[in-house]
Amino acid sequence: MIKILLENTDKVDQVRLEKYKQRGGYRALRKVLTMDPPAIIEEVKASGLRGRGGAGFPTGMKWGFVPRNTGKPTYLLCNADESEPGTFKDRILMERDPHLMIEGMAIACYALNCHLSYIYLRGEYEFIAHTVQRALDEAYEAGVLGPSVLGHDFALDIHLHLGQGAYICGEETALIESLEGYRGYPRIKPPFPATHGFLASPTVVNNVETLCALPWIITNGGAAYASIGTEKSKGTKLFSVSGHVAKPGVYEVEMGYPLLEFINKEAGGIPNGHKLKAVIPGGSSVPVLTAQECEGVGLDYESLLKAGSMLGSGGMIVFDDTTKMPEVLSVIADFYAHESCGQCTPCREGTGWAAKILRNMVSGTGKWSDVDLLLKIADMMEGKTICPLADADVMPIRSFVTKYRREFEALCSS
Amino acid sequence: MPKFTINGQEVEARDGQTIIQAAEEIGVDIPHYCYHPDLPIDGNCRMCLVDVERMPKLTPACATVVTEGMVVRTNNERVKEAVRGVLEFLLVNHPVDCPVCDQAGECRLQDYYMVYGLHTSEIPLGMKVRKRKVIDLGPMVVLDQERCVLCSRCVRFCDHVTGTGELQFFGRGDHVAIGTFEDRPLENAYSGNVVDICPVGALTSRDFRFKCRVWFLHGADSVCGGCSTGCSVRIDHRDGTIFRLLPRRNPEVNKSWLCDEGRMSFHALSTGSRIVQPKVKGPAGVPTAARWDEVIASINSRLKETAAAHGSGSIIGIGSASATNEALFLFKRYLSDRLGATRFEFRLDGEDRRVAEREDDLLRRTDKHPNSMGAMKLGLMDAELGGIEGAISAARAGRIKAGVIIYLKPLVARPGDDAAEARVAELVRSLEYSVVLAAHEADWQSAASVLLPIAAWSEEEGTYTNYEGRIQFAGRALAPDGGSRPAWQVFALLLGADGTEPGWTSPEQVFESMAESIPAYRNIARSQTRLPGVVIAV
Repeated sequence: MIKILLENTDKVDQVRLEKYKQRGGYRALRKVLTMDPPAIIEEVKASGLRGRGGAGFPTGMKWGFVPRNTGKPTYLLCNADESEPGTFKDRILMERDPHLMIEGMAIACYALNCHLSYIYLRGEYEFIAHTVQRALDEAYEAGVLGPSVLGHDFALDIHLHLGQGAYICGEETALIESLEGYRGYPRIKPPFPATHGFLASPTVVNNVETLCALPWIITNGGAAYASIGTEKSKGTKLFSVSGHVAKPGVYEVEMGYPLLEFINKEAGGIPNGHKLKAVIPGGSSVPVLTAQECEGVGLDYESLLKAGSMLGSGGMIVFDDTTKMPEVLSVIADFYAHESCGQCTPCREGTGWAAKILRNMVSGTGKWSDVDLLLKIADMMEGKTICPLADADVMPIRSFVTKYRREFEALCSS
Repeated sequence: MPKFTINGQEVEARDGQTIIQAAEEIGVDIPHYCYHPDLPIDGNCRMCLVDVERMPKLTPACATVVTEGMVVRTNNERVKEAVRGVLEFLLVNHPVDCPVCDQAGECRLQDYYMVYGLHTSEIPLGMKVRKRKVIDLGPMVVLDQERCVLCSRCVRFCDHVTGTGELQFFGRGDHVAIGTFEDRPLENAYSGNVVDICPVGALTSRDFRFKCRVWFLHGADSVCGGCSTGCSVRIDHRDGTIFRLLPRRNPEVNKSWLCDEGRMSFHALSTGSRIVQPKVKGPAGVPTAARWDEVIASINSRLKETAAAHGSGSIIGIGSASATNEALFLFKRYLSDRLGATRFEFRLDGEDRRVAEREDDLLRRTDKHPNSMGAMKLGLMDAELGGIEGAISAARAGRIKAGVIIYLKPLVARPGDDAAEARVAELVRSLEYSVVLAAHEADWQSAASVLLPIAAWSEEEGTYTNYEGRIQFAGRALAPDGGSRPAWQVFALLLGADGTEPGWTSPEQVFESMAESIPAYRNIARSQTRLPGVVIAV
């Protein structure tokens, strides 16, 4: 299977610029520097690359929204605030191949005429910070970054910014607020970051994995990338698999790869002779799929949507038939209650309330009426907030409770 | 000017107007907590969600600008259900301690619950998030974190209006609470406003707390007497006692704000003793109580005698920059028309120079009188005297023999006050015959030949002219204390005593006379002095 992102992540010395270059690194950047920025955007549009952070928005189109000649600088922010439960794909890229991310960022910056860019790294990833910083230092030393990128008339600075440990700061407008030094509160859209983002200037926020796909696309062409995957989901995607599989880890597969085959072959199947019970395919905020619903589903945006879930971030969590679904949901609900920023009423109050109800259920003090109350709270929260965090809580609550209702009811006594 | 449809009604909105603003103008009430007309938009409470055609989700009316052809519904089932849900969420962790909450009666949680909620709480008390209660936030404000709906109005006020930034959110999720760093006091000069804009009982007034249930209060529209800015206020009172001053929204003057000094200024009215009846200095120099009719007659005759004996130039009138235009108008009319007096002053401490001088960037001005500009417009300045000091010299030199002096102690104190009052006392002592009109007792008043008790700021209806020449109506909250009378009425009595004047029976009539005879006030109807007031050239 083709490896676009993980081709070199198994090589211990890949973190060094010299080795990265020896294996073909920074050639795409060199090529890009001779191209017209609009032509690069066209190439990315042609590749069909979609945002890998979770929303799956076409990257080339996102870049196309950025206005030119506003008199303000344009900023590229690399979203490395990978916090979605079950997701650890960006981590591998940054830990093992940080120059790939830097090269991707430099390509994007050149295409967007951006001269100052930030990597917003998740606070809990402090242990990766020095790897990334060393790579940045090397890049500056080698003239890859700085006043004259690879000797060309293009200046670029990239700074690393470490978050303080808030899930919400992965939401692009909260990320921008946090980077500006404020509380990580999502902003009301419109205006969108494309026009009023970081420091009220045109801003693009791209996920690490998205940016890491750019060097390959530049080297091999958008059409080559678009020839991989399905009709609407192009290229490859990283899946970080955890839970009841024999070989948890990060895998790169072609879009459209069959879900069950992925679990059974790539991830080594369900261990200890157990059977598959359920899968959360794209991080904890997407609806859970029952084993039956997984039949015939491909790992791409459309197929997962059709099955009633989403590709999300590719943070796959697999559950075998010993799993108590209310306990899983309780953990997920606790997470969202803990991470709700507290700005909007429905999310602030709803996530906490739902988490408490679930804790009561799991500890045996739940009531029959609580099962429907959870669904009511989900309805009360959905689509009523500034950012999608409340909806991220609604998805698991509604899917778990409807698909495994009997398990919830069995816990309730009165 | 986009045209749009709201609940089936086609309306024209102004460019850039949000749905909530346009709706308010045509009387469509959209419930809200965080939206405030004088604060930046935040959109956090989600109470103002409305249904806009072609938008997949409900959208906050406070943060959505009206566009041409927009179709908005604020009252369909989808919206009602959303609003009901938001309200239920707001009450999930609310302590519902209305019986001991000062906000009860003017609380948006209570009000909206009755309109949009009426649900049965599904959360047992033991499951509620507990937060801190009764946090002392300085001289004006007490914070109860449990009652807070986290609308951020107070935070935005301190960030964007005063620019002091004391308040912030702490914590996350349903444990978020507002507060100050290390519970430090909120000590900016406008801190009381956070209590007004708090839609619930989280921020309560330290001064007003537990004094009176709000539904027992009566409100009178007035103008703050604390400085020359003339902020629009409401006097809340009951049974002859003022309980609080609140700003009234006047976009042209004070928006929704009031400074803390102004807010607390009413306490000055009940500090010290009031003069309860007219007093006349007896033969032994001891002031003795007298009847109004006797006093009026004796003042008229004494002043006429003085004018006849020493000429009308021997009489001076000292007005007060805290008196109403109506009082000052009749005061001047009496002295000039009836006695031929030509010398008038009101300046005790350079009020004319300071009238527009700012004390800060927001509202406060250094001239602590509400009507210096009014006194100037009525011609109460004498270039030769140049203020009360000139009058004192003239009196000492014997050029001025008699005077009528209105003195009202400023409601907001400032360093030069005592010296200014001492100058009034000095003038009184230097005159052979003096008529003093005052509200509060002071030792120096024993030197006055006649002392007349007049209504204090809250007891007199009239108009004030602020620093920019804005004439504003101030209503009466309380009846004049004891035997005192509004100053305009005292001069109406003096003018009417010989039956030659028609007699003014209301401040409205006085205003009409003033508008007829004073060039600056020509063609101004009294109704124009109501919110936001009418500006004359200064």
